[in-house]
Amino acid sequence: MRTLSFFSLALLTAWSPLASAADLLPADRPIEQVIDHYIEARLQQEKVVPAGQIDDANLIRRLTLDLNGRIPTAAEVQAFVRSTDPAKRAKLIDRLMASPAFVRHQATEFDTMLMAGTNASIRDYLLKAFANNRSWDRIFRELLLPDENDPQQQGASAFMKPRLTDLDKLTNDVSVAFFGVNVSCARCHDHPLVPDWKQDHFFGMKAFFNRTFDNGGFLGERGYGVLKFKTTKGVEKQAKMMFLTGKVIEAPASSEPSNEEQKKEKAALEEAKRKKKAPPAPSFSARAQLVKVALEPEQRDFFARALVNRLWLRLHGHGLVAPLDQMHSENAPSHPELLTWLARDTVAHGYDVRRLLRGLVMSKTYSRSSRWDGEVTPALNLFAVARVRPLTPMQMATSLRLATSDPASFAADRKPQEVEKKIEQLEGSASGFARLIEQPHEDFQISVSEALLFSNNDRVLREFLAEGGDRLLTRLKQARNPREVIDLAVRNVCSRDPRPEEIPVLVEYLSKRADRPTEAQRQLIWALLTSAEFRFNY
Amino acid sequence: MALANPEKLKVVTTLSRRDVYFSLARVPRSSRVFLGCSDFKVYEADLAQPKPDFKEIGAHNSYVTGVALHGTTLLSCSYDGRVIWWDTEKKAQIRAVDAHQKWIRRIIISPDGKRAASVADDMVCKVWDVASGKMVYELRGHQVKTPHHFPSMLYASAFSADSKLLATGDKVGHIVLWDLASGKEVTTLEAPVMYTWDPVARRHSIGGIRSLAFSPDGTQLAVGGMGKVGNIDHLEGKTRVEVFDWQKGQQTHLFAGDKFNGLVNQLRFHPQGEWLLGAGGAGDGFLLFYDLKSKKTLRQEKAPMHIHDVALNEEGNTLYTAGHNKIVVFDLKG
Amino acid sequence: MAAPRKTFCGSPDHALDRRGFLGAALATGGAFAADMTGLNVLTQAALAGELKKKQRRCILLWLAGGASQLETWDPKPGAATGGPFRAIQTSVPGVHISELMPRMARRLSRNTALVRSLNTRNGDHGGGARLMMRGRRDEANIRYPDLGAVLARELGQTESKVPDYVSFYFATEGRDFAPGAAGFLGSRYAPMELYKSMIPENIRKLDSISALDHKERADLRDFLTRQFERGRSSSTLASHNEAYQRVRGLMACDKLFDIEQEPAKMREHYGPTQFGEQALVARRLVEAGVPFVRVARAWWDSHGQNFETHQELVPELDHVMGALLDDLEQRGLLDSTLVITLAEFGRTPGINASLGRDHFASAWSMSLSGCGIKGGAVYGKTDASGNRVVEGEVGAAEVFATIYAALGINPQKNYYLGSRPIPLTDPGTKPIKEVLA
Repeated sequence: MRTLSFFSLALLTAWSPLASAADLLPADRPIEQVIDHYIEARLQQEKVVPAGQIDDANLIRRLTLDLNGRIPTAAEVQAFVRSTDPAKRAKLIDRLMASPAFVRHQATEFDTMLMAGTNASIRDYLLKAFANNRSWDRIFRELLLPDENDPQQQGASAFMKPRLTDLDKLTNDVSVAFFGVNVSCARCHDHPLVPDWKQDHFFGMKAFFNRTFDNGGFLGERGYGVLKFKTTKGVEKQAKMMFLTGKVIEAPASSEPSNEEQKKEKAALEEAKRKKKAPPAPSFSARAQLVKVALEPEQRDFFARALVNRLWLRLHGHGLVAPLDQMHSENAPSHPELLTWLARDTVAHGYDVRRLLRGLVMSKTYSRSSRWDGEVTPALNLFAVARVRPLTPMQMATSLRLATSDPASFAADRKPQEVEKKIEQLEGSASGFARLIEQPHEDFQISVSEALLFSNNDRVLREFLAEGGDRLLTRLKQARNPREVIDLAVRNVCSRDPRPEEIPVLVEYLSKRADRPTEAQRQLIWALLTSAEFRFNY
Repeated sequence: MALANPEKLKVVTTLSRRDVYFSLARVPRSSRVFLGCSDFKVYEADLAQPKPDFKEIGAHNSYVTGVALHGTTLLSCSYDGRVIWWDTEKKAQIRAVDAHQKWIRRIIISPDGKRAASVADDMVCKVWDVASGKMVYELRGHQVKTPHHFPSMLYASAFSADSKLLATGDKVGHIVLWDLASGKEVTTLEAPVMYTWDPVARRHSIGGIRSLAFSPDGTQLAVGGMGKVGNIDHLEGKTRVEVFDWQKGQQTHLFAGDKFNGLVNQLRFHPQGEWLLGAGGAGDGFLLFYDLKSKKTLRQEKAPMHIHDVALNEEGNTLYTAGHNKIVVFDLKG
Repeated sequence: MAAPRKTFCGSPDHALDRRGFLGAALATGGAFAADMTGLNVLTQAALAGELKKKQRRCILLWLAGGASQLETWDPKPGAATGGPFRAIQTSVPGVHISELMPRMARRLSRNTALVRSLNTRNGDHGGGARLMMRGRRDEANIRYPDLGAVLARELGQTESKVPDYVSFYFATEGRDFAPGAAGFLGSRYAPMELYKSMIPENIRKLDSISALDHKERADLRDFLTRQFERGRSSSTLASHNEAYQRVRGLMACDKLFDIEQEPAKMREHYGPTQFGEQALVARRLVEAGVPFVRVARAWWDSHGQNFETHQELVPELDHVMGALLDDLEQRGLLDSTLVITLAEFGRTPGINASLGRDHFASAWSMSLSGCGIKGGAVYGKTDASGNRVVEGEVGAAEVFATIYAALGINPQKNYYLGSRPIPLTDPGTKPIKEVLA
């Protein structure tokens, strides 16, 4: 029997965060090739034969959900499956990424990630940022140092504002979101098992935020102020501004202001409040120092890797470093060279999120099947088989709308702009229902209240299973026989053709209810919508 | 005769105290008052003194919520359920009566000095013979429970100037007028706005009729409390006084305040009927002056504390008030 | 195999213990325990103990908004801070409680213990409510489960046909301050929350579908899902199917929520108020095997008119709590059912100008009755004015350790988040043994 001691584990891994650049694949290789190279190499080393590639219908469903936040229409699936163009995958990806839906989906995803634990949203800001393909470092800068007078940055300050009442949380949220590091453990004591994280790190990071405050709804920052903390031994210590890498920023000597200066400062702050403006920035801004140091060549690795890992997790359901917020020397990435290469590439191309995403979804690793027919499922971190991922609330609500709409609204002969517009409308009308669906997180469990909602709630009936001009149900009524009903329904809801083993069961279900065909069709749609296949991105 | 002009209202004396003073009775033609306190005691003090001595008369076992005086007989009541008769000369207890099952909210003596009335949360008004201490009537005209199954409360009472009528008012806004000679109900009135039940957010209630006063001619009955409350965690309803022509059963005046939040704990007509005074508070206190003839609010003035009880002098131009951590004397000489 | 990961902020107190592991092994597909499945310590004897423990239950009477300790369990008659109410002798010699609670005074010695020395240091509704529902402070990177979710997991049956965490909170005030939270335990342990109707949402079939179609439609869904699940496995995927599998069982228990099923006499026993009716449903639920029910009685936040508010709400509490304990006792359920009164905090001894009391977390009280509790025990003491604790100060952690201990759960049991052990209560926390049977 294996015995586990958490302390012995410390000796098992040693991870150098910076694999030497000379050992890596050349920088000019396409991202997807590099991904597949390193993933394959590890699989070979582990003697695991990965799952095969998914078929076209599955691929377009996965890509459309990941890039546009919805399932594909039946017409889109059919066109993609029938196409014989060898470049059809790249063309599909480019089409999806050129759609305004891509920007909306990116904004939703990043808003959810960045604003978790608050009731605020920066989606409006993110919509602008992603529409202009603003780089990740620029978004980082604008969220941490928002210029509240710049219309391009409108709404950016909502990232900091709701967190100002709890600077510990702000410190940790910023560390997790942008650097993949959870330093909260080090608030109370040096991390006992991760030598990287000392109390100095937590308070070092907090010192960058310690001078920031809310001034009548606007962000203010003082040019002075020291942060003190008590070590576990009870010694009072003054925190230095220190980045996660240990790099210390020497702040210019500042003393507490005199009474006179305090009065002046207070007057200036009151003045700003009255004018509903941000108070003047200090000549030395600690927050600006954090943005600067985090992007310096010697320090920016955390920033680049955290972005890579986050997008990897989003597309694969498991990070190269897992958990996401545990990027440190005691928690090695599954594919260190790959992470290093991708981070280097991301820096070299100006933190271009769109480019990185495109590379990720072009890889064979991305398009592996989620089905494993062997006996023992390989470890998640080998990426030998795709992980089924629960849909997010917006993916689910939009897809429910789309799946239950008359496919004729999206037929191949409709103008693309018209279809695009219609989909945008569907998305807009889906946001209400999305609020009833839980946001997935690590180790997510689907609740019985969701099952009860779908089983017995009138709203599900009204929104998705009603008859009406542009509804699937109305279209099904025009079908000539059960088989036609099944073809239409399965293609519209499941984004694929019905399978031979399903057809007799579904035909029987409908035939048994020949006296009430509409009810039977409604129930068929319901069963397809509530099946696991619809609930997941697989 | 010195006029009593609300425009001239000013504070003459402020005494800061540790405790809360719930009740006050004044010795006619003097500045001597008896006070009921949250430290369970009854005190006597001369408010004309720069630093009055608070002489203890005696004690209850809970907050002393009412004091009433006739000659040298002082009656006090308390949340302990007892009414105590005191001899103010001898500073001695005459008798103590276990009068009510629940908190007694107020005791008053009729202008002719013959009858006293105590109101309590057992929802009974008991009428006492002041001289003998014998109970004359048990008046039952108020529901024991609110419509929402919670215990109701009976806060307010008033005698008419001719000592023939008695009015009582409860938490849900129900008012009963009693004939003092027979102990029979004369009529009932309703002021339901004074009661706020919150069925949604907090599921309990606040408010109630807190004060009643007959006009000097006995034709009108003023009813005090506060208006509907949004957040019943706080006394944040606006001050409210309704006046009824009780014979017609009609509301003739509505003074829905626009300045202060809180309960109108006391109502007093100017002795010559020139104006009606309301006093009370929430976190802060207030004094309100109304002109019934013109149906106008003459003045709404912040008081130094939440006021629980008041007494006007015979001219109506000196006002003695007791309340939260303070006793304050006002002058209205005009 | 993959290099072991080590990501938790451990300390020697977090070291793996046998009981902790047992809990992990019993997890129903929760990935939070997945790393530990290689260990073989699940012995038969231990398992039997675990199963027996599973018959225990808990009802939390949540006095939302903060009931006053001075007008309930810790009166200070005569003190300047004491307010107008008297204290009355209870059936425990020398112990007095507020006169507003005569019924509980009579039966205090039977099954009820008081803790009069809570110092929980958080006088904010939201923070206080989360602290007292979860037993610990929020931590940035861990979503802690609340008491109901932990007890649902510890005391619930995996195959249960009844819900295992039911929460009534009809008043709207304060509801969002501490909604039921399964935290890292996952939605499987999230509460069935009742906000408006005494019957849970979506538990009854719509009229537009027949019972047979409702069932066969679910069978069709099941067929399609099984097709999909071939060759695919994940705990999230499993939870989806499990959730739908539980629908029929839950729909069958709608009668449990229906007080019309109770004789009129029993309904009178609990009284006509909403709180009384919900307490009666809580009894029906625990009787049917629901391990945790919260009945929230809001809203006690008496900043104005504290004494009037408590005159309304305390007699109701006294009546409902007494009725519930009597009823449970008569049914032989009280030995296995723990009934708790708790709030986010108490109220200030100081009385404000609106005759109100404000938020106060430095010296307040709670009660524990029934399962595992020493009837009549009174733990801790506040000073003469009620302003601070002078004996036996305890915080939220001790309260939770005591609740767990009373229900036969080791307060030091570990859950695992990845490989990070999360003990039920912080290391070193001791239950209040003075109130335990």
